[in-house]
Amino acid sequence: MGMGKYLLIRAINALIVLGIVTLVVAALFVKVAEKNLTDQIISQVNAEYQSLLQKGRAPEDPEAWKQARIEYYKQLYHLDKPYWWRVFYYAKRTITLDFGNTRIPIFGTERNVKNIIALALPRTILLFTTAQIIVIIIGLLLGVKAAQKVGSFFDRALSILALLTTSIPMWWFGMIMLLIFAFKLGWFPANSMPDPNLTGLAHVLDVAKRLVLPIITIVFVLFGGWAWVTRNIMVGTMQEDFIMAARAKGVPERKVIYGHALRASAPPIVTMTIFSLLASLGGAIITESVFNWPGMGRVYWIAIETNEINLVMGLTFINVALYLAGVIIADISYGFLDPRVRVGASARV
Amino acid sequence: MRWVDIKDSISNFWFEFKRQKTGLLGIALLIFWILVAIGAPYITEPNIPEKWRQSAWIDYPKTVPPTWTGIFTGVKEAPHEIIPMEELQKYTSVEDGIIKIDIPYNMKYDIPPQDIVIRNISGNSTNRRLRPSLSLYIVRPDGKTVTLLSGIKIKGATDIQIARDNEVRKNVIEWVKQETGIQLDPNKEFQLMTTLDTLRIVFAQLTPDIFDSPQPLMGEYHIIIEVKTPKGTSVDLSGTEVILTGRTYGHLGTDDKGRDLFAGIVWGSRVSLTIGIATAVLTVLVGIFYGVTAAYFGGWTDEIMMRFQEFMASIPSLPILILLGTYFGGHIALWQIVLLLVLFGWVGIARVARSMAYQIKEQTYVEAAVALGAGTGRIIFKHMMPQLLPYAFAQMALSVPGAVLAEASLSFLGLGDPTQVTWGQILHDAQVAGAAVNGYWWWVIPPGLAIALVALTFVLLGTALDRVLNPRLRRL
Repeated sequence: MGMGKYLLIRAINALIVLGIVTLVVAALFVKVAEKNLTDQIISQVNAEYQSLLQKGRAPEDPEAWKQARIEYYKQLYHLDKPYWWRVFYYAKRTITLDFGNTRIPIFGTERNVKNIIALALPRTILLFTTAQIIVIIIGLLLGVKAAQKVGSFFDRALSILALLTTSIPMWWFGMIMLLIFAFKLGWFPANSMPDPNLTGLAHVLDVAKRLVLPIITIVFVLFGGWAWVTRNIMVGTMQEDFIMAARAKGVPERKVIYGHALRASAPPIVTMTIFSLLASLGGAIITESVFNWPGMGRVYWIAIETNEINLVMGLTFINVALYLAGVIIADISYGFLDPRVRVGASARV
Repeated sequence: MRWVDIKDSISNFWFEFKRQKTGLLGIALLIFWILVAIGAPYITEPNIPEKWRQSAWIDYPKTVPPTWTGIFTGVKEAPHEIIPMEELQKYTSVEDGIIKIDIPYNMKYDIPPQDIVIRNISGNSTNRRLRPSLSLYIVRPDGKTVTLLSGIKIKGATDIQIARDNEVRKNVIEWVKQETGIQLDPNKEFQLMTTLDTLRIVFAQLTPDIFDSPQPLMGEYHIIIEVKTPKGTSVDLSGTEVILTGRTYGHLGTDDKGRDLFAGIVWGSRVSLTIGIATAVLTVLVGIFYGVTAAYFGGWTDEIMMRFQEFMASIPSLPILILLGTYFGGHIALWQIVLLLVLFGWVGIARVARSMAYQIKEQTYVEAAVALGAGTGRIIFKHMMPQLLPYAFAQMALSVPGAVLAEASLSFLGLGDPTQVTWGQILHDAQVAGAAVNGYWWWVIPPGLAIALVALTFVLLGTALDRVLNPRLRRL
């Protein structure tokens, strides 16, 4: 099978999955939001009525007036249409990238879903992707080091540390970091919202200071797992014949490790890297909540709590699209990096 | 399989497993957690889950650290003490219509109790004008007597709390002024009337700067409750108890509702273990069954099943779990959490199981079974699934931490099962109450450590099992 045809099939496949996921999320969330929206409309109409009453401009027939307002809002939010109509309506809009507006402004004054995502995504990239890159670098270095000295004290210590840190809930560790470094010692600010009065270098320094605690948290919880997996992959590769052959030929140890073994171990590591970088774009809902970091995860949680259908749909769509793109990129890179894997065959495993 | 074979394979397994030090540590931890979970009603009280949501904790001190913190800070803080009715009766004497309760209290702490609470003292009267009246004194080791309350009329069942009572504050400030002759500036006095930590002053040395930095006066105090019962009135002390509200409580302190966090943590182990193990076992079984079925049928069935697997894998699971949580009315019952976690958890295992099953399928004995006309179900369950069991056991243990963390995360977001006490909920309450801001470390650290320790237990077991049961995958 040719590369082009294979890519095309993969892409179509991904688009179908994306469409179905969007439809399922729409079906779920439209139902969730329905009752809450109805309640919200009633309380909003009541509030409007009260404010009219206070201004001395009460409508003559309050019940009829309220009914009319409720009908108006129901029409505005499409609540007068049947359930399935609304599901397809939101799914179709989302798939055609028409994300619409939110009812209540998020992040101050922003109501356009695309703009909200455009604001949140860079912040999440700044936090999680930076952290993820640090994690990958530390993990790779430590993992390779441990694989060089299998069974040594360093190797054992790293394994134990990896098992320990991966067992920790990231958001809990974040709470502890805040407790110690933000509130007890006061070294770092507890709130991640950047100071709006600062510009230029002062702004950059402010953001950098707010990044320290969340980044340390993410790196601490994740690096152990990375180091451990890298070590295991490397140890597997180091036992293979071509490494022994290289050593027998008298290739320097450094070159054996970094030139031969690490290169042969690259495919799974690169796949892992792509996936974790992409996963990092979604943000971690709870970790961002703990640090009050205004990224994708935090927005997602706000959107669900306030029943913003358009925003939930938009965020889910972007997340799933990124993930599927990642799967395709990972597949292709696997094919390029590992000549043993034919592209067509790699899709089947 | 004969019994001897089973015994043999178990002893072989154990021989291999014994050499895995981490695995042995995992077993020790697992036994510890099982003991804690089973023993929860005996270690604490049997009705904690019901009690947890109720207001049954008003007698307890709020957000106080554990008793053992004094060892590290060097400051001895008064623990929580309850003097029950039987003990009170020993201190009670009656004379000329005056009931006198003289409670000796040995104050040997750097920081005295928070409060003195007299619970459920109940007065009856046939005469509308006359009521039993209560006075409260404290006789100090320096021979001085502080009158906290005098002539309080009691009608019906009454609770008396000393520390937040403005009358008591006024009496104490007056007493200090009289004894030391300090002149207070009116602003300061006004401020003290609302913020004074009453018992710190009552149990302090009489120094000129007593209000700013009270030094504890240790020694034998007497808390004296005097109840005058004029004719036609009576007092019922049968349900009365005196509580010296502590500055510390129990092994792990209390939260802002006064709940004993130690009890919460002990009971939380049940939920964690149940959810973790149930989810892991179900997830792995479903995943392996799915993978084996797909591999066995191959062709179009395999293609469709794998498309569905891909579809499930590309759904961001935590947001959907949160969505479903709100869908179920904001709270998800335990079994629903298990089902949801299984629904999103089998995906990865199915993929690995499928690729393993493809290898097994090619083996001659499966071909022979097919040739002999064995049914599909028989081949899948009898010939292929057992081959994957070693992989399954290790995977089960390795899946537990994910399930434990997922449940904790949902509970942390406030979507947990309200009828259960879980570690995630304790952390949720801590987050809501701003425990980190206020420095209530005893409320934040132990639940998270417990989650991490349960997760670690199964990671240790899983990696050890993996090394013993899947020698093909063994990597030194």
